[in-house]
Amino acid sequence: MKPVKIVQCVDSVEGIFTAVYDAWAMKYGHEFIKLEVIGMDESLNYELFSEYVLVEPDSLKAEKVAKSIRSKISEQAYELVVKAALSSDVRKADAIYHFLVRGFLMGKKVVDNLSDPYVQQIFEMNRFVGNETHFFKGFLRFVELKNGILLGKMEPKSNIVELLTPHFADRFAAENFMIVDMKRGVASIHQRNQEWFMTALEEEQMEALAAYDTEETEYSVLWKAFFKSVAIKERENYNLQRNQVRLRYRKHMTEFQE
Amino acid sequence: MEEKLSILADAAKYDVACTSSGVDRKGKEGSIGSAFQSGICHTFTADGRCVSLLKILFTNECIFDCKYCINRSSNDVKRTTFTPDEVCNLTIEFYRRNYIEGLFLSSGILHSPNYTMDLIYQTLKKLRCEYHFNGYIHCKAIPGADPELIELAGWYADRMSVNLELPTADGLKNLAPHKSRKNILNPIRQIQSGIEESQELLGMSGGNKGAYWHTRRKLEGKTIEQKRKEDAIRYQSTKRIDNTGQLDNTGKLGNVGKLDNAGNLDNTGKLGTLKKKSSIILPGEAEERNWVQSAPTGLSKISQFAGSRGFVPAGQSTQMIIGATPETDFELISVTEALYQKFDLKRVFYSAFIRVNDDSALPVIPGGPPLLREHRLYQADWLLRYYGFMAGELLTKERPNFNVYLDPKCNWALGHLEEFPVEVNKADYYTLLRVPGIGPKSAGRIVKARRMASLNFADLKKLGVVLKRALYFITCDGKMMYPTKIEENYITRQLLNLNEALPKHITNDGMTYEQLSLFQIPNFS
Repeated sequence: MKPVKIVQCVDSVEGIFTAVYDAWAMKYGHEFIKLEVIGMDESLNYELFSEYVLVEPDSLKAEKVAKSIRSKISEQAYELVVKAALSSDVRKADAIYHFLVRGFLMGKKVVDNLSDPYVQQIFEMNRFVGNETHFFKGFLRFVELKNGILLGKMEPKSNIVELLTPHFADRFAAENFMIVDMKRGVASIHQRNQEWFMTALEEEQMEALAAYDTEETEYSVLWKAFFKSVAIKERENYNLQRNQVRLRYRKHMTEFQE
Repeated sequence: MEEKLSILADAAKYDVACTSSGVDRKGKEGSIGSAFQSGICHTFTADGRCVSLLKILFTNECIFDCKYCINRSSNDVKRTTFTPDEVCNLTIEFYRRNYIEGLFLSSGILHSPNYTMDLIYQTLKKLRCEYHFNGYIHCKAIPGADPELIELAGWYADRMSVNLELPTADGLKNLAPHKSRKNILNPIRQIQSGIEESQELLGMSGGNKGAYWHTRRKLEGKTIEQKRKEDAIRYQSTKRIDNTGQLDNTGKLGNVGKLDNAGNLDNTGKLGTLKKKSSIILPGEAEERNWVQSAPTGLSKISQFAGSRGFVPAGQSTQMIIGATPETDFELISVTEALYQKFDLKRVFYSAFIRVNDDSALPVIPGGPPLLREHRLYQADWLLRYYGFMAGELLTKERPNFNVYLDPKCNWALGHLEEFPVEVNKADYYTLLRVPGIGPKSAGRIVKARRMASLNFADLKKLGVVLKRALYFITCDGKMMYPTKIEENYITRQLLNLNEALPKHITNDGMTYEQLSLFQIPNFS
């Protein structure tokens, strides 16, 4: 049996797409190729008898892959793959590669092939990313800074700032706001009635943002009072509450702060 | 302010509806806010219920004395009232911080129904026009208020609701002496017809019908246009649009005459049957027509608001209290079905009765609020709206209550074993939906996936089918998962042995699932 080639890439859509491009170009036989995002799974050991190839992101190659997916498979497949690439699932690069292998063979019908394990994984990751994005539409909390800017901090599992921002840009068109992923150090910035954009934050900026936490304002006090009084004592059920709002989401939610 | 908010939020919390769904609306220039079709939950309270809207009463001062209500006039509780600006300001500031999806404004009856309805309308108008709020608004239509005031509020709200409170007229009479079913059902009918009319005139395509309507439509294999046409014909018999576009009372209505307060009418010649049924609030078309205004006056302000958000674009909902009066599940679920069929409600909510007042007219329920019963009713409600079940299939007069040990769908399947097993690779969507362990999502996936390859049991598991329940009812390519008897007692025993945890919100029902002994189940001897 041939040794498996493990193609390693960085954690970004561009990185994964580049790895897809290079892996394909190797013509090594798809079943002997495995893709892996570096640094995602710390428990991962190097496998014996495997050959490791490290791929540097290359925007040209990534662009080509993106174009082929859209024209040879479908726009839907492209969206599925991009969303999967934003997930925190360690299998994502490999799932994307093998999903695309099938896609380039079958065309747009690949998305209906739900009994295929790689197609299933892609859908599973999409569900998770989609659900998490939806949760944060509700769970994100803004704090109003002195200058009127709304600051929303969060620590999602998946990399969803970019997916989440259009919702708020539409809703709060006339507000200045920023949404920050405190774990990844990325943020989206929206200025009143302008297009929003993504930015990476420096360490000092992150530290400054972290300091804004526990401020009590008139409205956060009122909100907490409201939150407390709408619970019905006779129906108290903390298990259900925990199921609905996971503890990991509560850190930045006003009503769960002491 | 903090105290006021606490009082008026506390007083509003027994209303269970907190959905922000039913309408999709993009942001608008110069306004704040948008609305999202499936609604967004913003947080969950200590009882595990979703908080989506700033749910408050405008006032808890109330001239009514409903026995089950914490705000009844004879209760000695602290009373307070918001001003319209306070409500608007709170809504906007909470909304900016993304605490909420919008406002849910209810109210006690201050001075009179009209006075209260006017306050609600003024507040909504202010919030929309002066504060430029474009997010979600749910408000109550106050029973007994003038249709004109209700209509005005409807032009600013997304959803309106009138609570049915109790499913039977007797119950209502006993516990809510100031409310009558006529006063409750008339605004519901008015809003229903207003929604229809506004859709026609504003050209809202696709309509804004509830899940129940769409499920029935698909089951009957009809397109939206066909079904709408049929509805229009049915509708024509109760209303007529004259040249000016105004609706008036004509046709059959004239013959039936005016409603009387008791809700009974005797010139139809069907008195015998009517009398008998009149304990249920919505038994049949005939009786309903007697005390429900069939053709409300129509939208009188349509020219003023044309091109706006539309009239109550997210539809209407209602709520019933479970367990305060002795109705059976069959009555409750029949009423629910009638509300979906005849009043086009989007949702019917159930609220397990909580004894907040010490009143001899109210029952004492030893295990606390009947949460398990409430849960079964919600399950059945889903079966009506998304699965295409009819109330009469789930329960009958002879067997009027749900089995607390089994969910309504398993219960139904066990009574209809002749329809099983179902071949997964062939059966149509709605047949698959009737299999315990298969829901709308997995049924949809099955229908899609089997076009590519024939499915086996391992595939089904991956598609989200709950095999431990489904295996008694399905075959894959003619084979069952493993040999099993298709026999009621056997399967019942197997299903009960699954020891499936009840959903997490069923905790203090005075009965835990673990304590269940098989010998308690009558079915088993």
